[in-house]
Amino acid sequence: MEDLELSELWKQFNQKIERANILNLQSWVLHLQTFEYLQTEKAKSRLNAVSRWKKGVAALGVVWVLFLVFLIVNSLVWWKLFFVLSVSAILGFNIYAVIVYIRHTLLISEIDNSESLIEVQQKTAQLKASTLQATRVLFLQAPFYCTFFWNFQWMRESPLTFWLIAFPIAVLFAVFSIWLYRNIHLRNADKKWFKLLFSGREWTSVIKSMEYLKEIEEYKKQF
Amino acid sequence: MSSANNHPDFLALILENKGIILKICALYCPDKHSREDLTQEIIYQLWRSGKSYDATHRFSTWMYRVALNVAISFYREGKRRRGDRSLSAFHLEIEEVSSDMSQEKERFAWLQACVQGLKEFDRALILLYFEEKSYREIAEILGLTETNVATKISRIKEKLKQCILNNKK
Repeated sequence: MEDLELSELWKQFNQKIERANILNLQSWVLHLQTFEYLQTEKAKSRLNAVSRWKKGVAALGVVWVLFLVFLIVNSLVWWKLFFVLSVSAILGFNIYAVIVYIRHTLLISEIDNSESLIEVQQKTAQLKASTLQATRVLFLQAPFYCTFFWNFQWMRESPLTFWLIAFPIAVLFAVFSIWLYRNIHLRNADKKWFKLLFSGREWTSVIKSMEYLKEIEEYKKQF
Repeated sequence: MSSANNHPDFLALILENKGIILKICALYCPDKHSREDLTQEIIYQLWRSGKSYDATHRFSTWMYRVALNVAISFYREGKRRRGDRSLSAFHLEIEEVSSDMSQEKERFAWLQACVQGLKEFDRALILLYFEEKSYREIAEILGLTETNVATKISRIKEKLKQCILNNKK
């Protein structure tokens, strides 16, 4: 098959498509211009819904962060050292999460369909894929939920229960969360534990977005 | 024209470019219902993005960018017509022209199937190539370099020819 033959076939295909009619286009555009469609569909828009959800989570995050600050400020005494240190660490991770969610809402508002295809598709995919990045960082706070109730009195009075139970549990959580942080990655997406941890439609779309990002990068490089 | 949605006749603008919209929909959606949904979505997004149109740039570049971005996102999300929307007074319908010649019909079906078998960005590339856009404009629309566009186009054309020949056999 020659180039000319392919172009000819495309031209015929073009003619056929251009003969098609869009029925009720006039009335539809009229509705659009009177903003009726704009107002109802804007509310339905998926990205707007995601943005609203992320704003909601960020607002809850801010409340949680303020509560943690309140706890820290009211616990600044020597015998509550472990509590203050643990809550401070948890506070750090939660501030990070709030910042990520606020960044996402800004990123959503920045998506402009009139930018190049590669740019827009990359931004959209990045938005979804970064959810996994935030989640793997948040796993790192897990061991601090096992240390906030530690205190020196407990260590002195019941050393066996502390060193044989509480301490190993915290170490186990630390090892496990660091392992998760290092292994929650696209390269492990086909592993059983990964699928179990990130099952459900929302996570599937996050994983797909990460694969898509990789594809886009390859596409840009490929000659 | 400072912004596309302030155009004195947005409807005329859409009618003028109806062919482009319908072609994009035909390449990204295999069934009629999704094509109608995508047509509606593209027109809506053209309306919404109207403010971002910069008159110093070509209108066609802007329009292809918006329409193709919407089509790729729509295709990737695997959107389908929502039951309630089909009953809506706002729903657009496409009246397609069926070909009387069965041979012609078959050839178009092959072409459509072969293009639909390409990756999302490759479909956009080949569409723009057949629309006789310059490599420069294609590069601007896609966000690639001109050299990259040229190489990819020759590779896609070969793929398409091979696919059509295989279907003929």
